[in-house]
Amino acid sequence: MSSPAPQRRTRLAPHLAGAAVGRARLAVVPRLRSRAPRVPFVVLVSMLLLTGVVGLLLFNTSMQQASFTAARLEDQAEVLAAREQALTLQLEEMRNPTEVARQACALGMVIGPPAAFLDLRTGTVEGKPGAADASTPAPCPGAARPAAQRGVR
Amino acid sequence: MRAGFVVVAMVLSLFGARLVQLQGVDPHQYAAMAAAEGSVSVILPAERGDILDRNGEPLADSIDGLMVVADPSLTSADAPRLAAFLSHRLDVDYLVALRRLREPDSRFQYIARQVPAAKARDVVAAAEDKGFRGLFTREDPVRTYPARDVGANLVGFLGTPRKDGSTRPLAGLETSFNRYLSGHDGEARYQVGASGSRIPLGDNTVDEPRDGQDLTLTIDRDLQWYCQQVLAQAVKSSRGDSGLATVMDTRTGEVLCLADYPTYDASRPDLSPESLYSSRALTDPYEPGSVEKALTMAGLLDAGKVTPRQKYKVPGQLLRQDRPINDYFEHGTIKLTLAGILAKSSNIGTVMAADTYGRGQLRSYLEKFGLGKRTGVGLGGESPGILPDGSMWTSQTGDRIAFGQSLSVTGLQMTAAINTIANGGERVDPSLVRGTATLDDGTTVGTGVANRERVVSEEAARQTSEMMERVLDPEEGVAKGAAVPGYRVAGKTGTAQRVVDGVYDGSFSVSFAGFAPADDPRFTAYVVVHNPRNGGGGGSVGGPAFAKIMGYALRRYAVPPTGTPPSRLPITW
Repeated sequence: MSSPAPQRRTRLAPHLAGAAVGRARLAVVPRLRSRAPRVPFVVLVSMLLLTGVVGLLLFNTSMQQASFTAARLEDQAEVLAAREQALTLQLEEMRNPTEVARQACALGMVIGPPAAFLDLRTGTVEGKPGAADASTPAPCPGAARPAAQRGVR
Repeated sequence: MRAGFVVVAMVLSLFGARLVQLQGVDPHQYAAMAAAEGSVSVILPAERGDILDRNGEPLADSIDGLMVVADPSLTSADAPRLAAFLSHRLDVDYLVALRRLREPDSRFQYIARQVPAAKARDVVAAAEDKGFRGLFTREDPVRTYPARDVGANLVGFLGTPRKDGSTRPLAGLETSFNRYLSGHDGEARYQVGASGSRIPLGDNTVDEPRDGQDLTLTIDRDLQWYCQQVLAQAVKSSRGDSGLATVMDTRTGEVLCLADYPTYDASRPDLSPESLYSSRALTDPYEPGSVEKALTMAGLLDAGKVTPRQKYKVPGQLLRQDRPINDYFEHGTIKLTLAGILAKSSNIGTVMAADTYGRGQLRSYLEKFGLGKRTGVGLGGESPGILPDGSMWTSQTGDRIAFGQSLSVTGLQMTAAINTIANGGERVDPSLVRGTATLDDGTTVGTGVANRERVVSEEAARQTSEMMERVLDPEEGVAKGAAVPGYRVAGKTGTAQRVVDGVYDGSFSVSFAGFAPADDPRFTAYVVVHNPRNGGGGGSVGGPAFAKIMGYALRRYAVPPTGTPPSRLPITW
C-alpha cells in the first residue's frame, strides 16, 4: 500500500461547530417494512417449472422421435444389407468356375497348352511352348441351371 | 366410531396378508411377470462362418434369409389367386401352396423356407400391394453354395433348419465342423411401449451374438473344378462306375483338389441320391493294385536289400503255396532290372524282390506310409482301409500285398503315401484345412498341426522316383499317356481286381499316381477309375487324366520345368 494521501485539517469556527452538531444528531429511522413483490418470484418459479416440464416433454418427444428414426434407419439398413447380399450372391453365381468355363467355352476359348518359361538371368527358354489347340477335347460344361430357391421339404 | 376402526383394521390386515403373499411366498414369479409385461426378448442370430477355398473364394456362404408364412384364417378366402401369385414369384408348387393357404383350424403355415431376405420382402410387399392379407416373414438364415457341385463332396450342406431354428448339417465339413462354424446366438431384451416401439430410456440389455468362424480349406476352387471335369470325362469315356482324383502339394501336404465322381450339387442336394453325399475318396476303401509296388520298392531300397539296377530273371509264372502268380502280360523268362520290374509292372518280379524282406518288415513300412489308419483330415466317416496284421498276414497274403492286392486303401491315404516318395522319403500328413480348426469331437486339425515323419531315406526316395520315371518311358514303360510335355514326371499305374460284396467280381479299379517335376516335385496327383468297361488299364485310362490335371496344376502355379535329363536307368539286361 502506498502512504495515505495527505489530509488538510481545518479548524471550524465554534458557532459553526454547534450548528453542525445539532444537524448531526442521529435519530432512529422509522423501520420501513418494504414487502418484495411476490408476483415476479412466483412467475419465475412457475416459468422455471414450466420450462422444465415442457423441456422434458420436448426432450422425451425428440428421444422418441429419434428412436423411431433409428428403428426406421435400422430397417432400411437391413433391407439394403439384404439387397447387397442378394447382389453378392448373384455375383458369386456368375463367378462360379462352371459358369466362367461355360462362357469361355461359348467364346471358343480352350485350356492352354504347356507354357514355356523365360529365364531372364540366363536368357534361356525352359519348356516347350505350343499353340493352343482347339481340336483337343477340352471339358466344356453344360449351361448352369439358374439359381432355384429351395422349397419346403 | 369403534365400528369404523374395526372395518379399517380388517381392510388393513387384508392388505397386509396380500403383502406377505406377494413378498414372502413367491416374490420372483411376480417380479418376472412384472418384467415380462412390456419387455421383449429377441434372439440375435449368430452368423454361420463361411467355408472358403485357399484363395478366399466362397464354397459355402451365409446370407440373411426369411421364411414366408401364411395365416390361413386370413388367406383362405382368396387362396387360389394368392397361390398362383406365390408359385409364380417364389418357385413353390401351386397345389401345395393352395392346400397350405386353405389349411383349416390353423394360423401358421410355411409357404417357403430360406428365401433370401431381399426377395422375401419384395414378394410380401408386392402381395400387400395387390391386396392379399395374411402373409408374414420370419428369420430363417440361408446357406448358399455358390460353387454348386465344385467341392460339394467335401463341403457338404445344411438341411432345412429344425423347428427350434437350429441348423441341421447333413453332410461333409458342414457336419464335422458344425460347432466351429455355428458361433453362439445372442439376445436383446428391451421394453416396448403400447405401440410396440422401443422405449428409449427403458431397461435394455444386449448380449451380442458371437459369429461362427470361417473355415479356410487348402482346396483350390478352380483346380478342384478342373479335377472334377477331367475325372468325369475319364470315367464317362471309359464307361466306368465311379472315380476319384486328388492333387496334393508335395512339400506341405495341402490337398489342392479332392474330386469324387459322380458327385452332387450342394445347392440342390435333393436332386441326388444320399449315397453321393460323402467323399468316397475317404470313405470307400479299394485295393490299390500296382501303384502300391512303388511303396514296396521304396521300402526295399531303404532297407538296403536291393538296388535299382539289380538283375532278375523273371519267369512267365511263379508257383507259390496256394496258387500261381501271373503277370498281366504273357511272357517267357525275361531279364529285368528292378527298375524294369516297376516300369513293366511285373507282379512276379515284385514278389521275387519282396522275398528279401524280413518278417513283418513290409507291413511296418506300409504302416509308416500311412496305410491302415485314418488320415484324420476332418471329414466324418473316413475309413482306415485294411492292412492285414498278425495271423491275417500269411506268406500268400504278403506276396499279394507286395503288388497291391489283399489290402485296401482310401484315395487320400494312397496319395499321401506316394507323396512321401515325392517329398524325399518324409511323409507329411495330408490337410484339408488351412491353419487350424477344431472338429466337433474336440480334435484340432489343419496344416498347423500336420505331422512329418521320415519313412524311407532320401536316397531310397530318389532312387524310387528315378525308377518310377521309367514307367512313363515312351518305348519301355506302360504309361506313355501320363507324360506332361516338357516336364520330368514319375508315376505308377495300377490295375487291381475289385472286391464287390466280399468277392472279386471280375471288375477292375484302374489308377495312376505320380508327381512332377520328378527331380524337384511340387505336386502329387492320383486318379482312380472304378470298373471301366472299355478294357483300359491304369496307363490308358488314369494316365491321360493324370497328365491333364498335373499339366494344369503346374501351369496354374507357374512351376518351370527343371530342364534336367530324364532318368535312364536300364530296364532289361
